[in-house]
Amino acid sequence: MKNFRVILQATLKSFIRDRLLQLLLVCALCIFLIVPALSLFSMRQVQELSVTLSLSAISIILLTLTVILGSSSVWRDLDRRYLASILGLPVSRTSYILGKFTGIVIFILLGCLLLGLVATAVIALVSAQYPSDVPLSWPQIWIAILSDGLKYVLVAAVAMLFSSLSTSFYFPFIATLVIYFCGSASQEVYEYITSDYGKTLSAVTRSAINSIYYCIPNFAAFDFKVHAVYALTLQLPGLLFAGTYFILYTSIILMIAVWAFNRRELA
Amino acid sequence: MRYRLLFVLLIASYVVCIVPFASYMKRRPVAVKLGYVPSAEVLRIVVGDQKLLVAHAAIVKVLVYFGTLLDKHPDSKLVLPAEYLNMYKTLQTSVKLDPYNNDAYYFAQAAFTWEVGRAQEVNLMLDYGMKYRTWDYMLPFYAGFNAAYFLKLYEPAASYMKKAAEISGNPLLTNLAARYFFESDKSELGIKFLEMMEKSTKDEQVRKLYHVRRTALVAISTIQGAVNRFKEQNGRLPERLDEIVEQNILKQLPVDPYGGRFYLDNSGSVKTTSKFAFGEHK
Repeated sequence: MKNFRVILQATLKSFIRDRLLQLLLVCALCIFLIVPALSLFSMRQVQELSVTLSLSAISIILLTLTVILGSSSVWRDLDRRYLASILGLPVSRTSYILGKFTGIVIFILLGCLLLGLVATAVIALVSAQYPSDVPLSWPQIWIAILSDGLKYVLVAAVAMLFSSLSTSFYFPFIATLVIYFCGSASQEVYEYITSDYGKTLSAVTRSAINSIYYCIPNFAAFDFKVHAVYALTLQLPGLLFAGTYFILYTSIILMIAVWAFNRRELA
Repeated sequence: MRYRLLFVLLIASYVVCIVPFASYMKRRPVAVKLGYVPSAEVLRIVVGDQKLLVAHAAIVKVLVYFGTLLDKHPDSKLVLPAEYLNMYKTLQTSVKLDPYNNDAYYFAQAAFTWEVGRAQEVNLMLDYGMKYRTWDYMLPFYAGFNAAYFLKLYEPAASYMKKAAEISGNPLLTNLAARYFFESDKSELGIKFLEMMEKSTKDEQVRKLYHVRRTALVAISTIQGAVNRFKEQNGRLPERLDEIVEQNILKQLPVDPYGGRFYLDNSGSVKTTSKFAFGEHK
């Protein structure tokens, strides 16, 4: 437990000192500065556009943050030969991977919280100037922001899995992005092939697509943006399923990552 | 020295190229400017959780393009090119990505009914929107207006207006719904409709468009009233519209902002040679 805490603290310190991440957060805050101006492109739903832009900005920034952190944290320790030194100490590989992952999770969630607060201020400002017929629903907006945060924790787990398999930076980076895009599209593809169009496909193709759908993460489960933008009622089963799915899928991925890292040859 | 010379040469070449380049970009064919938006089915898969953003980006693209058309014709001599179909398809794609987006429905109503006479297609889009924006009375209001004013289908118009009245609780809409059943005073309905539309928009270009249309309808309504009074006083219709000015019923004939000339048809209704349209869509 102590080793885990040490790894976690070291990971968080390295993230806080990282110039690239500092630059990314500054860029993120700058993006929010232009949201009020961009929202004016709408004729009839300025407030709704400000919510859309804010949620999209949070999503894109968190994706960048997650992919960079998830793909580079193990690789950096390997590249600088820190990993051999750390594992030479009485530190288990499991503690190392879980400590790294927890550091990334805390950083993502703090980033999510910070960006969420900035987004709240921007949306409140825009909606005060241009009130909409659609009421502003803060619970829906914050559920959308936090579920986005959970989604990127899941993406980070996928990145950790690839990092635990590879010595290069590029493989986990590209593989995580591919999984992210496939996982974002999988629900649409699944619905498409289960519609009438699917009947035109061969049984083998349908089975292959179905198998992929059940295996790769389904990020559509965490998308509550439309509820946030148009203040639509959230369904409790949807939230519960998303939460349960997140816990189960993340745990399974982490267990595979720990198992793989424990069996890896580290020169 | 050679390095500096090369750098200066490159800068000079850039300066020479940039003006014709900018001019070429500005003159690009409309279809290129508006671009091609892939079908909604493909976009839904590709854009992941950014559907709302992509939908709005597509709408803004159409709005900006439409705005450049209006800017090109400051005297309101708007001519919509054949690419309106591409604009309409782009809006259709955007509502499939974000069926709640009010801008798409509002703009379709503003741009594709009067200028290009596509009220039927616009009503299909509005019907789709009504399934999602169940709280929004404006969509059935637009559809009701289109059905009555453009398509002359008074029964569906009344049912749309009834729906709008039920959602909004606005007595004007209830009144309109009733009148669609019993009346066909199109000019007056048009004026009331355009007044509401003009007041509810904050986009200067669209407001200008509505203002021109309302001015034209007010002119028709004013002349028609004067013609009716002339008929009451003289027992006949005027042979020329100038007669109503000569008899001081009107001080002067209003001007058609669409550039047309008002005249009386055989049934005594006031018409205009512009048919309330600019350019080639007359």
